[in-house]
Amino acid sequence: MHNEKLSSVLRSVQKPGRYIGGEYNSIIKDKDTVKCRFAFCFPDTYEIGMSNLGVRILYDVINKSPDIWCERVYAPWTDMKEKMEEYSIPLCAVESGDAIKEFDMVAFSLQYELCYTTALAMLKMADIPLYQKDRGEDTPIVIGGGPCVYNAEPVAPFFDLINVGEGEEVLVEICNLYNRMKDAGEYTRASFLREASHIEGVYIPSLYEVSYNADGTIFAYTPLYPDVPKKIKKRIVADLDNAPYPEKLVMPYIETVHDRIVLEIYRGCIRGCRFCQAGMVYRPIREKSPEVLCKSAKCLYDNSGYEEISLISLSISDYSRLPELTDKLLEWTDEKRVSLSLPSLRIDSFSEELMKKVSSVRTGGITFAPEAGTQRLRDVINKNVTEEDLMRSVGIAFRGGKSNVKLYFMNGLPTETLTDIEGIAELATKVVGAYFKMPKPERPRGVGVTVSVSCFIPKPFTPFQWEKQDTLESLSEKQAHLKECITDRRIKYSYHDAKASRIEGVLARGDRRLAPVLALLTDEGAFLEAWDEFFDYDRFTSALEKCGVDADFYTTRGFGLDEVLPWDIIDIGVTKEFLRRERDKAYEGKTTPSCAEKCSGCGANKLGGKNRWCK
Amino acid sequence: MVQVDNSKIILRLRFKKVGVLKYISHLDLVRTMNKIIVRANLPLYYSEGFNPKPKMVFAAPLSIGAESVCEYMDLRLTEKIDPELAKSRLNANMTENMQITEAYYPETKLTDLKWLSYTILIKTEGASKELADKCDAILSSDVIEVEKSAKSGNKTVNISHLIRSASVVLDGEIIRINCTLSADQSEFLNPEYVIKALRTGASVLSADDITKEYYTVMRDGAYTEDMAQFR
Repeated sequence: MHNEKLSSVLRSVQKPGRYIGGEYNSIIKDKDTVKCRFAFCFPDTYEIGMSNLGVRILYDVINKSPDIWCERVYAPWTDMKEKMEEYSIPLCAVESGDAIKEFDMVAFSLQYELCYTTALAMLKMADIPLYQKDRGEDTPIVIGGGPCVYNAEPVAPFFDLINVGEGEEVLVEICNLYNRMKDAGEYTRASFLREASHIEGVYIPSLYEVSYNADGTIFAYTPLYPDVPKKIKKRIVADLDNAPYPEKLVMPYIETVHDRIVLEIYRGCIRGCRFCQAGMVYRPIREKSPEVLCKSAKCLYDNSGYEEISLISLSISDYSRLPELTDKLLEWTDEKRVSLSLPSLRIDSFSEELMKKVSSVRTGGITFAPEAGTQRLRDVINKNVTEEDLMRSVGIAFRGGKSNVKLYFMNGLPTETLTDIEGIAELATKVVGAYFKMPKPERPRGVGVTVSVSCFIPKPFTPFQWEKQDTLESLSEKQAHLKECITDRRIKYSYHDAKASRIEGVLARGDRRLAPVLALLTDEGAFLEAWDEFFDYDRFTSALEKCGVDADFYTTRGFGLDEVLPWDIIDIGVTKEFLRRERDKAYEGKTTPSCAEKCSGCGANKLGGKNRWCK
Repeated sequence: MVQVDNSKIILRLRFKKVGVLKYISHLDLVRTMNKIIVRANLPLYYSEGFNPKPKMVFAAPLSIGAESVCEYMDLRLTEKIDPELAKSRLNANMTENMQITEAYYPETKLTDLKWLSYTILIKTEGASKELADKCDAILSSDVIEVEKSAKSGNKTVNISHLIRSASVVLDGEIIRINCTLSADQSEFLNPEYVIKALRTGASVLSADDITKEYYTVMRDGAYTEDMAQFR
């Protein structure tokens, strides 16, 4: 970072280490010789953004091109934002300290809906016009990507280009097209965006007109030109073994949220939990081989000095070659004092053997996610775990010295009744009971069970996408009821703010008519709203009201089965027919086997991809 | 794994921490250094217990905002290796703002370090010969009172005996202070207190505007009790 003004304000802000750059393994290129400068923006703080695996992967991939220099940009904390405004310092990239307004591409990773206003505030801080239509020839191309863009409609009017699906290949193709058109003197914003719309996995919102019915539902998405695709097909990386994975990590000087090596084991999920968006949109499942993973882990260890490796994917224990992988890793990690951690364990596949292999001494706790309190409701959501599975797993955990068990549940699931709520309390009580049933010498001291309950949001591209989101009144009634049902003082109960979930529901399920609301909120100073202390429900509802947008329309109304959904413009590979079939089965209380047991014909196999399960 | 501890092998490293790294706290420096020494693949001695850690000891922590060309740390090893080799391996794993300048097997203890010298530069629109002289007079006085915060509340203390020497001169638009302050563990004097004394006594750095006034601190010398170069 060579920005002197920026450097001198750092004396007066908290955690200045967030803003200094110059980290080991960060990439510096000659800005005069690269053809394309790419600002990779994360609309949250440095500590959170630095921990994001997607950013780590894409930073590495893009910088492999000698023509492109990808730099990182994070949202400053509020104290720094004030200083930057006071001294007229625009939003800068970490590596060069240059204002991102001067860049060719400004890309945002949209990880959660509540970061939208932060992304818009960052555009404002960078002095880039919010709306796509207001940008001139010299303004950067503003790109959006990440899990939120499977329904990007609420923010679509702010983006020039949206990357739907995995970005490893697409982002480089976009920059190459840009460089080629600039070199040939053929570049204008309009001609570039039109050309880019032909790249698979690229969505150019400005090339579509959205029309509405009298009742406010969507009539149609109409491409403005015949060469613009009618639907945008999600992009995937077919062969993960041969896909680029970072060999070096940018090493933060300050502590970040996930300050360790993160090893991605596979993408997709063989389960078909009906509430889970990730389980659908990341299909088809594609595994990496233990050989490639081990090589990658050793290389990252040598280049980082981290003494912890976290294996991640949607459900670690479903990896078909997990014992082989952990054995191979343990061959050298033990000697090097490197610990392994597995953050996402399912209760039906948790074993004593597995627990022994992972770091067990450092933490006293373990987390499981039954999601619902009764077997009936767990069948409705296709969670496919039983009370027996849970009891067996907590038994192993207690015997292994873990005295604190955290249980995740959801409120507001389709067909949920108060009996299901009571089931949550009963299940937690049984976990405490399982502890006391153990002979005293075998169990760790001081049992504690935490029941953590979030509010269900019917997410796009799930079998529940048409469902009504539960009302605030009903959710608060359920939360209060559960509180009454939990009488054991060894059970701690925490629940999510239903109001935040309602807003997340609006933004997750919304259409382009939400854009003015977000722009207004940004004008009113909304920033870092993913942080509880900065989330303001009343500001949100008043902005919705001022813009004439009805939150119920997107949440508690539910969507008609024949209605054009805001996200119908995107094709994730999994068919609407499959989602519909799964919805019907949910109401019949019928479960669907995992991909490992039987193919259920979701349609994702047509995307290709080297994998074990799909035919 | 059994580590035989016949005689402790301690490698001393002198390093610089300059530029933007002045904004890295001591705690973060320790974490960063931990990763550097692992990457450098040195024969590290690990502590016993559930959570083994390499043994590192740092002399006189530097406060946030100050740069230094003379930081010292002792690193415990399991075998004696060529200090120059250790130095080059470490430097290959560090950025340009943090580099080892010396590596050796020491004959002194880190606690033998008793005095540290600093260069403080104050850039201010009001810089003048008179102001420099006024600052110089304040720092050479027998009584230099500053407010120190303590657990029992703020108290006013005299820091003059912790300042071994200090001189203030005008250097263009800059007030330049060279001073040698106590680094003794029981009576460590943070250079921020020198700034504080001048703020109160000479009203420097009172403008709340970084485009008009700012200062830099550089730690640039380390000495033993009798002012011999610390090594």
